[in-house]
Amino acid sequence: MSLLEVTNMSHKFGGLLAVNEYNLTIEPGQIVGLIGPNGAGKTTVFNLITGIYRPTSGRIIFNGQDVTGLAPNSIASLGLARTFQEMRLWRHMTVLEHVKMACYSKLTYGLAGAFLQTPKRRRQEQEIEERAFASLKMFGVDQFAYQLPIDLPYGAARRVEMARATVTEPKLLFLDEPTVGMTPEEMLAMIDIIRKMHEILKPAIFLIEHRLRVVSELCHLVQTLVFGQVIAEGIPEEIQNNPEVIKAYLGEEKVFA
Amino acid sequence: MLHNESAAIHPRGTLDLIRRFFANVPLLGWLAGALAAVVLEQAIGTSLAHALGLPRIPVLFGFLIFLKQPALIPGALGYVLLSNILPICIIAKVGAPLFNFLCRVLFKMPLLVTAVVHLALLYAIFHIWTDVNAYRLIMLKLMLISILLTLSLNVINGYMGEFSCSHPGFMALGAYSASLFTVGLFVNDQLFGQAILVSDYAVVFFPLGLIFAGLVSAFGALIIAIPSFKTRGDYLAIISLAFTFMVKSLLENLEFLGGPRGLSGQPDWSSLPMVFIIVVLGVWIINNFVTSTMGKALNAVRDDEIAAEAMTVNTRKTKIIAFMFAAFWAGVAGGLFAHVLRFVNPSTFGLQKLAEVLAMVYFGGLNSVYGSIVGAVSISLLGEALRPLEILKWIIIPLLLILVMIFRPRGLISFKEFNIEKLLKPRS
Amino acid sequence: MNLTYILQNVINALQWGSFYALIALGYSMVYSILMLFNFAHGDIFMVGAYIGFALTTALVAMSAAGVIVLPNWLILILTIILAMLFTSCLGMLVERIGYRPLRGAPRASAAITGLMIGIILQTTVLSIMGAQRVLFPSLIQTTTYNVAGVSVTNIKIMIVFVSIALMIALHQFVQHSKWGMAMRAMAYDYTVVPLMGVSINAIAAMTFAIGSALAAAAGIMYGMAYPILDPSMGILFGWKAFVAAILGGRGSIMGACIAGFLIGFIEIFVATIFPSTLRDLIAYSIIFVILVFRPHGLFGEPYSARLRL
Repeated sequence: MSLLEVTNMSHKFGGLLAVNEYNLTIEPGQIVGLIGPNGAGKTTVFNLITGIYRPTSGRIIFNGQDVTGLAPNSIASLGLARTFQEMRLWRHMTVLEHVKMACYSKLTYGLAGAFLQTPKRRRQEQEIEERAFASLKMFGVDQFAYQLPIDLPYGAARRVEMARATVTEPKLLFLDEPTVGMTPEEMLAMIDIIRKMHEILKPAIFLIEHRLRVVSELCHLVQTLVFGQVIAEGIPEEIQNNPEVIKAYLGEEKVFA
Repeated sequence: MLHNESAAIHPRGTLDLIRRFFANVPLLGWLAGALAAVVLEQAIGTSLAHALGLPRIPVLFGFLIFLKQPALIPGALGYVLLSNILPICIIAKVGAPLFNFLCRVLFKMPLLVTAVVHLALLYAIFHIWTDVNAYRLIMLKLMLISILLTLSLNVINGYMGEFSCSHPGFMALGAYSASLFTVGLFVNDQLFGQAILVSDYAVVFFPLGLIFAGLVSAFGALIIAIPSFKTRGDYLAIISLAFTFMVKSLLENLEFLGGPRGLSGQPDWSSLPMVFIIVVLGVWIINNFVTSTMGKALNAVRDDEIAAEAMTVNTRKTKIIAFMFAAFWAGVAGGLFAHVLRFVNPSTFGLQKLAEVLAMVYFGGLNSVYGSIVGAVSISLLGEALRPLEILKWIIIPLLLILVMIFRPRGLISFKEFNIEKLLKPRS
Repeated sequence: MNLTYILQNVINALQWGSFYALIALGYSMVYSILMLFNFAHGDIFMVGAYIGFALTTALVAMSAAGVIVLPNWLILILTIILAMLFTSCLGMLVERIGYRPLRGAPRASAAITGLMIGIILQTTVLSIMGAQRVLFPSLIQTTTYNVAGVSVTNIKIMIVFVSIALMIALHQFVQHSKWGMAMRAMAYDYTVVPLMGVSINAIAAMTFAIGSALAAAAGIMYGMAYPILDPSMGILFGWKAFVAAILGGRGSIMGACIAGFLIGFIEIFVATIFPSTLRDLIAYSIIFVILVFRPHGLFGEPYSARLRL
């Protein structure tokens, strides 16, 4: 059984059909890429599957469970984590607190623990703190644990976001343009980080990217989305040479870094 | 971090010198010094005052004398110096090695023991200080209550980043509920008839009444919490304001609660130990909540709700908990307040109370337990100290607040974590 | 409950609502264009009324003493114009001292500052005028017209007309003048306008000036309809007009107007049906319910108006 099955998902914003009969299947551990020109609807697809919008039609089945229309936090608790293109970090919280917060659904100490310092709360807080540190260490940003996001260099902030998304060892990880704004060197470093993380934690990954180098290095499978519709699907080499894809990108530079 | 390092190398002015001079004094030392000072005042206070030309012991550190009787200012200054400042500083500094040693001994035991020792000392100081006259007692009780009230508002306005104007409403619900409980059950009263129960066990029944008050407020908070799912920011401000108007108007119209004339006859159950313990408990519980990951969810909802949802935070549950929790403590504060004044009426819980409590939160500092304590204490003290200036008080205090808003928009001490261990630890 | 009764109350509501609408306009302009609440606005209304009182008293006294002899209608016009002028200067001063230093700060801090400025204004008036209420000199002979059983005073008519005239004037200014266009642009995107060469300081000053002038007009007319002034009259009006501004919706100045009249109508009609002590309770419950079902106000754009820390 596939990890994620999206069937005939469509979504309208008022009169605008943003996503049209979208289909996706992701197997456990698989890395799938989503490319397409700006405005194609890639982030909308992300937002639909992760529950930020409820699709006007279609079905989403994650890990055998129908999650269509569930609240984002419920879907996330089932093991679907994500990062954001604009890197939504919490400006007044420390890096460590960011990663600990992602473990929210794992807390069972309830209000009693929160209001009083019960042993269960102490134990669980200790556990998630250790887990958070381990996650930060894996991404090489543990030295920033007590700093605020605004004090971090851009690459470090991106890695913090990645640590936050992966600390609970999600089964499926959505990455929205993880290398945006990065220099070629940073991009190569990020490709490396994603690859290593994939080896250790083995999540399935669904990746939006503009830079085809990232896609060709990491992805097993690539979808091309244009005006809300998938126009091509296949392994990276096929996609790169697909005339429809090239036509869609006409005028856009392919970054080989 | 860098700031402190450079200060260590290049001390900047007398303030810094003073700070460095006293840097090795643990909190225990300051408490011991203060205890000695109030004991001293008990022993020789009146004689000292007379010797300095004052008719009696200055009630509020001489502030009232500064403004009402300028001729006595040197005497008052002398009194404050000799009776308060000098004993505290001398004992704290001279005894620093001893106090640090005691601290280290205490720290070997569970943190609870250390905390209890410090709290006992603090209570002793309060008890002896207020023994001098009734004014000090009422002032201190009201100040402690405003600490609890301010911190409870900080939970919503600071930690969760809303602009809620509903706190006077919560306080009113709590004040009236607690009064209903005590007067209805324990007092022979013309509105409610004979007392049903005996009023000897205040220590048991008052907390029950306060819990009842808190629960009523918390329930009332659902009226704000549920709309807060869809409305944020400015619109929530209005809804919460409407709520306050509604509660006030409701209370004015319920004749069985006394209507606009109010409800009186509350038993004198807000004793200093009761107020102290409940406020300390409240501050401890609130601090526990906001330092837990469940409590930090409030911050996540404030800073980016969408990211919070994506990170498994149940934002609806978080908002409901935050509102009900904050309202609970506002209700408890209201109940305590009603039993200090032994009278409540609806006009207490209107726009003036709102301005007061907002001032305390924003002056002291958002998202910070220290901030709420500082804000409540400062505004309360200022309110009392400037009383002789009468109407000018309401120009000075707002001006002060505007200055703080311009130079420290989030308050004096904002976003600073209240770490009990760090507060109580030895300093050498 | 017959037609005459209803009509009578409609007239009353129009008049009562005019005050809320005029004050709400000032709130709404500042709110839409500068994205902040000016909680001192209600007290600016109060100061406007007192300035009007001072001017009228002075002019009447001068006229009586023979210094300059002016007919009452001229005194009224002069009072309104001068009061609007002085109050708009006060408004610009408030903006300069209280809000400009806080332009980059969290909006909650600016809100608190406004609250404090309001308290200062109130205390200042209280200390100058004393605690006694003052009587606004009457400049116009009150004539009551009786139309089909509905009695209307000339003052009420004047208030409604002047209010509507001011609102139309404002609407024209905002829609058709260069500065009005700049204001509307700023309501859409705060940061871009200075990049187009328009000074935020100038627009801020102008917004406050206009809003304060409208509040002053409301204050004087209030003084004519309800001649007893007291320094705390601004607070309640201010908060209710604030509610009207939000109820009308962000970005909609006309919405604030309509919401102001709406609140006036709700208050008057609730008082006709229920005992007057319940007026606030029911009026605010209605407003509460409206806001719960239309979280963006009546005419507002769904804008995530978060008070950022």
